Amino acid sequence: MKVHIDEIKCTGHGRCAKYAPNVFTLNDEDGYNADRGKTIDVPADEEANARLGVKSCPERAITIID
Amino acid sequence: MNDVSSSTPVDPETTPEALVERFGRDLINDFDLDDPNFNERFDETLNFMVRKCPVVHSKVGRGYYLINTQDDVRAAAQNWQTFSSAKGYMPNRPDGLPYLMPEESDPPMHTRWRRVLNPHLSPKVCAGLDHPVRNDVNALIDTFIDRGECEFITEFGALLPGWAFFKNVLGVPVDDLAMLVNGVEEGTFAADLDERARHFAEVFGYLEKHLKWRTTQPPRGDLIDTILAGVTYDDGTEAPWEHKVSILVDLTFGGIATTTFVMGSAIHHLATHPEQRQLLIDDPSLIENAVEEYARFFPPVVALGRTATKDVEVSGTKIAEGEFVMLAYACASRDPRHMEEPEKIDVRRQGIPHSTFGVGPHRCIGSNLARVELRATLEEWLKRIPDFRLKEGTKPTYITGYLRSMRTLQLEW
Repeated sequence: MKVHIDEIKCTGHGRCAKYAPNVFTLNDEDGYNADRGKTIDVPADEEANARLGVKSCPERAITIID
Repeated sequence: MNDVSSSTPVDPETTPEALVERFGRDLINDFDLDDPNFNERFDETLNFMVRKCPVVHSKVGRGYYLINTQDDVRAAAQNWQTFSSAKGYMPNRPDGLPYLMPEESDPPMHTRWRRVLNPHLSPKVCAGLDHPVRNDVNALIDTFIDRGECEFITEFGALLPGWAFFKNVLGVPVDDLAMLVNGVEEGTFAADLDERARHFAEVFGYLEKHLKWRTTQPPRGDLIDTILAGVTYDDGTEAPWEHKVSILVDLTFGGIATTTFVMGSAIHHLATHPEQRQLLIDDPSLIENAVEEYARFFPPVVALGRTATKDVEVSGTKIAEGEFVMLAYACASRDPRHMEEPEKIDVRRQGIPHSTFGVGPHRCIGSNLARVELRATLEEWLKRIPDFRLKEGTKPTYITGYLRSMRTLQLEW
């Protein structure tokens, strides 16, 4: 599974990293997703956490690419 | 093939007569955020509107719309080109009140400010404030724990967010907090619109004085120095002094009153639901998630406004250019299209897609600090006062407009 983080829609709620800290990293400086605008791989054993992180994003900024 | 009637069947629950009978007014065509009925029947009205009334209209003053579903609120909040913040977030905004930067501006002006302000309230910075905030939680509890009772709002809830923000972020003395809390509260809820403007002016005056004083002091490298350093707008002009003052006002509005409501509501819920309280005492690791659920269910910001920059249609309602449109975050956080049993509080709820901190580029800049305050409050309170209840014969009192505030909460243990 891969996920794409929309560069514009992410506004730094930080929920993704709360549920899936091994998948999503926040930028130290401003707290926005550090991979904004990128597509990243999700390790198989992190998929459930990643899905929760995606679901909890108030911006729907993260798209799952199976 | 049979001809299916094109007219939508009438929902007996949303006829003007049914609405007047149930809510005291025709919510769909004649809504009023300041109606005492909305205050009294807050939960019922939100739950009803998000299910049955995607868009409602108010005739109060210059009039405004309210957008209620999560999908519509998100779409409008993210579409700042069509739903502009540049004409303010308050419905029937008092005349002459300066616009508050960055909340009442659009990108790219908004972006310039958020870029320099965000680092002062990042998750990392706020995590570092956990310790001093926790100390303040305990210092406040010390003042009343032996008495076996307290009035939570004045003795704790209205103080902690102000202390956390003023001491750790702004460096403003806490001595004048009561005046500022009152100014913000009356500026938001006073029935008379001129009175709202007078209270806001008082807050402006105080904070401008403080900002001016800081220009005479050596730099501290804090948030205020960042405000004073200013930003250059895209047209090459430097942000004027009035914008800098308004940023301090905006941050103070957001930083002192809103978290109080979530805090008070969470403590009230725990006081009246012993089984939920026991759940968090037995497994404090649930508290972080509980904070999210309480923030979802107890929204201090009911709705914030935008101005339509062109004719637009939202869930079948035509909204004309120039109309004022409120994004009802409180309704959006209870949308049954996006969660199971949204009208229930469930501290185990996972992946809570709520909009209590707003949506879009104007996401609450203090959300990370609010979470630190709420978590420290619940953790320390439950450690020190695990068994508490509502004082017999009392119930909490509230006031509601585009914000919601708890006025009193009597507890005993």
